[in-house]
Amino acid sequence: CSEDFLNRSPQGQLTDEQVSNTKAVEWMLIGAYGLMNGNRDGTWGNYASAPSQWVFGEVAADNAHKGSELADQAVLFDIEMHNTIPVNEHLSAMWNNYYEGITRCNATLRQLKVVQESTDGEKFSAERAAEIEAEAKMLRGHYYFFLWRVFRNIPYIDETVATADAPTVPNNVDVLPMIEADFQFAVQNLSDAKPLGDAGRVDQIAAKSYLGKVYLYQKKHAEALVLFKEVIAARPALESLPFLNNFDVNTENGPESIFAAQHAINPDGGGDNANVGDMLGGLYGSAPANCCGFFNPSFDLVNSFRVTALGLPMLDDSYRNNPYKSDYGLSGDAKANYQVDKTLAVDPRLDYTVGRRGVPYHDWGVMPGDGWLRDPAFGGPFVGYKHMIDQADFPGNTQSGGVNYVTSLNVNIIRLADVYLMAAECAAETGDLDYALARVNNVRVRAAKIPLKTVGGANTAAYNVKPYLAFANKEYALDAIRFERRLELALEGHRFFDLVRWGIAKEALESYSAFEGGIISAYSGLDFAEKNNYFPIPQDQIDRSGGALIQNDGY
Amino acid sequence: IVVFSTHAKEADAQGVLDKRIELSAKRVTIKQMIASLENQSGAHFIYSSSAIKADRKIKTADLYGDLSDVLNQVFRPLGIGYKIENEKVLLFSVFQDITIAGKVTDAANNGPIVGAAVKVKGTDRGTSTNDDGQFSLTVQPKEVVEVSYVGYVPQEFVVDNNQHVYEIALQPSLSTLDEVVVTGYSAQRVKDLTGSVAVVSIKDLKQQPAASPIEALQGKATGVQIINDGAPGATPQIRIRGFSTINNNDPLYVIDGMPYEGKLGWLNANDIESMQVLKDASAASIYGARANNGVVIITTRKGQKGAPKITFDAYYGTQSPQRNRFPEFLNPQQFAEYVYQRFKNTGDPAQAPGMSETTGTNYGSDPDNPVLPDYLLAGTTTGHNITEADADPAKYNYAMDPAQFYQITRANKTGTNWFDAITQNAPMQNYQLSILGGGENSTYAISGGAFKQEGTYKYTGFERYTIRSNTTFSFLDDRVTIGENMQYSHTRGNGFGVNVNRAGDYQGEGSPIGWAYRIQTIVPVYDIMGNFAGTRGDKMGNADNPLSVLYRAKDNSNNSGQFFGSTFADIKLAKGLSFRTTFGLRYENYHSKSIGYPNPERSEGSFTNNTLQEPQGYNSEWTWTNTATYKNVFNDAHDLTLLVGTEAVESNWHETRGYGNDFFIAGDLNYYYLNTAATTRAESEGSEGSLFSIFGRADYAFKDRYLVSATLRRDGSSAFGPDNRYGLFPAASVAWRLSSENFMATAAWMDDLKLRAGYGTTGNQRIPTFQYLRRYASGVNQSFYPIAGGNDLSSGLWTNNYDNPSVKWEELKSINVGLDFTLFNRTIDGAIDWFDRRTSGVLYPVPQPSAAVGTGSSPFVNSGDIKNAGFEVSLNYHYFSPSGDDDAFQFDAGVFFSRYTNDIVELAPSVTEQPYLTLRGVTTSVLKAGAPLGAFYGYQVAGIYQDDADIANSASYENARIGGFKFADISGPDGTPDGVIDGNDRTVIGNPHPDFIYSVSLGASYKRFDINMFFNGSQGNELFDLTRQYTDFYAFPGAVSTRTLNAWSPSNPNSMMPSPHAKAPTIEYQSSSYYVQDGSFFRMRNLQLGYTLPADRMFQGKVSNLRVYASVTNLFTVTGYSGMDPEVSQYSSDFTAPGVDMGVYPVPRQYLLGLSVTF
Repeated sequence: CSEDFLNRSPQGQLTDEQVSNTKAVEWMLIGAYGLMNGNRDGTWGNYASAPSQWVFGEVAADNAHKGSELADQAVLFDIEMHNTIPVNEHLSAMWNNYYEGITRCNATLRQLKVVQESTDGEKFSAERAAEIEAEAKMLRGHYYFFLWRVFRNIPYIDETVATADAPTVPNNVDVLPMIEADFQFAVQNLSDAKPLGDAGRVDQIAAKSYLGKVYLYQKKHAEALVLFKEVIAARPALESLPFLNNFDVNTENGPESIFAAQHAINPDGGGDNANVGDMLGGLYGSAPANCCGFFNPSFDLVNSFRVTALGLPMLDDSYRNNPYKSDYGLSGDAKANYQVDKTLAVDPRLDYTVGRRGVPYHDWGVMPGDGWLRDPAFGGPFVGYKHMIDQADFPGNTQSGGVNYVTSLNVNIIRLADVYLMAAECAAETGDLDYALARVNNVRVRAAKIPLKTVGGANTAAYNVKPYLAFANKEYALDAIRFERRLELALEGHRFFDLVRWGIAKEALESYSAFEGGIISAYSGLDFAEKNNYFPIPQDQIDRSGGALIQNDGY
Repeated sequence: IVVFSTHAKEADAQGVLDKRIELSAKRVTIKQMIASLENQSGAHFIYSSSAIKADRKIKTADLYGDLSDVLNQVFRPLGIGYKIENEKVLLFSVFQDITIAGKVTDAANNGPIVGAAVKVKGTDRGTSTNDDGQFSLTVQPKEVVEVSYVGYVPQEFVVDNNQHVYEIALQPSLSTLDEVVVTGYSAQRVKDLTGSVAVVSIKDLKQQPAASPIEALQGKATGVQIINDGAPGATPQIRIRGFSTINNNDPLYVIDGMPYEGKLGWLNANDIESMQVLKDASAASIYGARANNGVVIITTRKGQKGAPKITFDAYYGTQSPQRNRFPEFLNPQQFAEYVYQRFKNTGDPAQAPGMSETTGTNYGSDPDNPVLPDYLLAGTTTGHNITEADADPAKYNYAMDPAQFYQITRANKTGTNWFDAITQNAPMQNYQLSILGGGENSTYAISGGAFKQEGTYKYTGFERYTIRSNTTFSFLDDRVTIGENMQYSHTRGNGFGVNVNRAGDYQGEGSPIGWAYRIQTIVPVYDIMGNFAGTRGDKMGNADNPLSVLYRAKDNSNNSGQFFGSTFADIKLAKGLSFRTTFGLRYENYHSKSIGYPNPERSEGSFTNNTLQEPQGYNSEWTWTNTATYKNVFNDAHDLTLLVGTEAVESNWHETRGYGNDFFIAGDLNYYYLNTAATTRAESEGSEGSLFSIFGRADYAFKDRYLVSATLRRDGSSAFGPDNRYGLFPAASVAWRLSSENFMATAAWMDDLKLRAGYGTTGNQRIPTFQYLRRYASGVNQSFYPIAGGNDLSSGLWTNNYDNPSVKWEELKSINVGLDFTLFNRTIDGAIDWFDRRTSGVLYPVPQPSAAVGTGSSPFVNSGDIKNAGFEVSLNYHYFSPSGDDDAFQFDAGVFFSRYTNDIVELAPSVTEQPYLTLRGVTTSVLKAGAPLGAFYGYQVAGIYQDDADIANSASYENARIGGFKFADISGPDGTPDGVIDGNDRTVIGNPHPDFIYSVSLGASYKRFDINMFFNGSQGNELFDLTRQYTDFYAFPGAVSTRTLNAWSPSNPNSMMPSPHAKAPTIEYQSSSYYVQDGSFFRMRNLQLGYTLPADRMFQGKVSNLRVYASVTNLFTVTGYSGMDPEVSQYSSDFTAPGVDMGVYPVPRQYLLGLSVTF
């Protein structure tokens, strides 16, 4: 019997030899992009790794509750209340998926090198080779940055580390310089044009924005501001770009979208490439897209949209006085006959951020309250808005089988308004209050252009949003900018990380807990310690590392 | 004077012998002497000169007397006898050969025994019986003739020179020592075995009607642990001498010479003649690379020469779920009080019960006394909020549109017993017709069987149809034998998760059994209009109605058609030398269908999901084996058998899966085709592998007394890279039959005593192939991305399997010492074995950190060493009546005892302590040096925090509370206790391996009655009852165990169960010793009562045997385990986490009536 009898080839899989060519490198790069949606595959389970970061960015902050019932996904409630223990499965979802993205970037870079250095076979042009390297490094920077924000102390593995050596890489090194280096490489090697003309690829604008963001997280305000200004200059004025285009499947990848996770429904109707990470936030009950009734906006968030007579936010937290609670706490006829208070003075962005009783929700009809809610007594009376799409767009944009809450809606990781506000923040921090004021007001003027919600021809609230007249001083400017970030970017996954980088997570969340817990007692008693600025390393990863990974202090 | 022949005298009618003779001394030839005698007596002598050597000269003294005196004095010393026939004197040599004839029959049924050996003792003269059981043999008087046949007690008789015809009736042997069994490419007598081999004969198998032949192995062989599960058609889990690997621990099956890896649900137990379990390496290593987990050799029934024997077997019965073992849950009122208590115990007035935020609408607003609602749901209104108007049936609308859907569900205030609701008494039946027979040059065995078992969980079932044909043909004077053994089987599993090839679908949180733990008892099975009721409502959790899950899966099916067969040719090339070639083929074609329906009554249900899944695939495998055997006996003392062989195996698997969703109509099976779905998707997958082996074997016996056996096998496997492709597996064993030694001759009570010792190496390669290669894949869900920004996906690649270039064979070295004994005229027999098995380089896909491999599959690595050591004792007692009468009382008793200890001796340097099997954050098991494989892992409960001081003074964790678990402070980051409970404090909290397993079988017969009883048990193993996560810790708002009635409270301070608490930290239900319980049990597995009718008389000989029987299985179980069944089969066969109970399918009790008739 010859040796040939025992020589077999893998079925439906490729070997190193077969992936050492230019086509394979391009395909591996697509694979590297593939983790932008926060999941390798599978619909259920990838919640915490969603590009929207609704779990760590919003539920862990003061903007939203995990929702559903208390005992359903109790470990999500642990994250909300900052009682996370290292075996929490959502930590693993975050960790595993983003490291999958990183390994794909590294594999692309490795194979790129193999192809370019081989003595025969087709090679990439130097330009495309540099561009591929830049794309892969940009993606790697993004994946590492998301991990860093959640876990802080993470092992850094790049394409030069052999797989066999990777398990023993410790997590005691500051990875921000490496993240920065990847974004710098991307800035230097990408152009304004999207590589290969693909809207879903990263370009220099995205790289500059992200690099600026990383600078901002390190308080390198001046360096960041330079980049943000370049980005702003390169794009149309924000005021000319409709706010709603950011959350509309028909206007994706428009000028405001700078870095976005591309989502699509598979040709067969499958949802694995769609925004499955947000699926638990699908509404409930009789809603046209009903799933699990998670991700309920907080009273605190909703009330933060209330405005003064001047159309400005209540920076002094006075929005918490006499809070608006929709029909929460009502019963019997009072509840049945509840009418939305149309005199409530709010920023119009509220009703495109939050669904509340009595106000039209997308084109689904007027939000009926409890009928669309899982457990309003626990999760509150509100639902999220930005992650759901119009009913008219369901065909072709939702997962088959009536899974209308899994959609092809892109999720912006950086959009222009974010850059405006980051630029404003950098300017304020570096003393340029005029520039800061101008950028904040760009955002607010644009907000004033949002079509107002009406029922029977009447506005459903006393909508009002006005520009600031002036920033009296740096502190006021920063308060205003921070508040504006909350309003503009609410439920888009920024809030918790902003609070942490501002160093105010403890005071903000504990005071939030006191307020929110006063309405729904489940949220009272939040105790925020230093360790809670980030989350524990998943226990299984520590177990697997054989001592290379050290648990974050305090966990 | 010695009377030489009384017969001669009697025949002397004419008084010839009384004639007077007078002869004087002289030297004459015999011929001359005869002439003189004829002369004097007048008698005529007849003789053959050559026979009596008449030309010999003899010298005689003077002779006076009767002729008879003279004949006696002269001829007798010369060995010449005489006889009077027709007044003539017949002379003959008394040493003359005589020819005897005879017939050998079975004492039990008087049927002829074909091929029985008839041999003159102490000589090499012998013959065997023909098709009618007859023989003829030339012998000399006084010689001892031995008649023997496999399976019968040998008989001896002394040749009487006057008796020429013998009738010998052989008693069936109660000893299996003489049985010839197949032990790896050759056959051996049981008494000659040198390795550890358990032999189970058909008689034992038939005592337990069972879907799977493996089930019937239970308690029939020491060292073999069978764990049953109750799913219809399920193949139980079999473990031989512990767990040698972390992967698949299933043994290798060799069915009629053809190796097979997999489950045996397709094989009909009635078709099996015998099974041998090769337990130690010295016996099994001839199977080399695949023998680590032991080898089970299965021989199917073969034909026998003779007239066709037609047998019909049937049984019918019912299975009842063991209802007394169903979990006990709080009734709705108790449940409401439990939920109230959860909030009361927070001590937070804002979290008081009776509010919508806390206890919701179901129990009213009284903070102290919950009041059960009349309705749970009416449209979107819940609990006490529902008015009569809301509950108006006119509003009911079961529309599959969330905006229109209006369901009205009454509360079941007395509580639904969900386990009652989803279980049933289920019928089970089996029919088998077989025809066995043969002619002079051929034998045949043909059978057909049908088996059908419904599940004790509703809407599940299993069916199997089998056809088998085993034939042999011999020609050229029996020098060439060709034959075939073939089976075609069709199996069909119906309903949720019934798949004979995989345990586990029906386990776990998403199964109907899992849901039954997770749904509140206040939920009725049906709503007011008879549609399924569910968890849609207020704070009802997210369980699916378990009956709806079963019902909606009722049309799901798994169909498999498998051909399994081999054909062989056996050629006798020269004396003692034979060549055999066998070509076997397995081809399985399978198809399954599963359909999904909307489940709007579920809290997280769907209104529109209507799906079809259609996997279809095949497994094909061929095995070609060639062996040459030389067998000879030299000088009557040296018995030598040499065997060399080669074997090639090639296997292929391919599966195509189609998925469809959204059909024009739901529920019409005739309409469900993929092309009728609105959206479809297809996938396919496959694998292939090959194995080539060369092997040899030598068996040598000296005077049956000293036995030596050696085997060597070299395997090449496509599973490994070029550098590690080949494995060499040697083994040797010796045995010493002490009972044959002269110094034991005085111990007549000792029939047989044999000491055995063996050592050998086996291998394991049962891992996915190509672990040595890094592999990349392209998949729409895994690596595609809509890079262009629209809905179009672009193809991408990802690394889905990481590589370990140095992966190599897993090796098991085993030593075995054993003693076989048969005592007191075969009334007692048994064996004692001691073994030590060490697996080195255990193959396991050690999960790598995600930082290294992302979500790709970690490669298998040779991860460490596992040791299984232990001993086994089997002891049988046989009482058979001295009269040998069939009707007399007979009694057999057997006791089997097996013990092993399992330890992970060390882990490879690349592997540290490795916890595994995680469900909802509870990680149950661990791989850890010094601990047994699959040891339970978690926190050690040290008590319950009694008060604040207790928390302050004890090691604790964040949010520790009064009434919560106090865990033992085992360690800190630096290896010493640090007062903080965290991941460092996890420790080994239980051992899933038993201290020992045992079984007792009792059988008796008297006249026409027979009775058999079989008991088995396991002692000292622990079980991890993971279902407590739901029932004891409220991990979901589902059913709550009545155990919680004894939860800790200030007035019940000694309870070891945490008090209910709405804000209990999640660490409380992490893996801890709370889940771990003693899993010992003792079970009466089987009771069977049989009656053999006097068929001969009743049917005028047309029916030769007719037996009816009644049997009960699982009559009782003694156990302290609180789960549904202490027999907990592991979740997945290639992922060893033994003893974790995620909600097993319990073994039902079966009542059967059976009939066996032979024509």
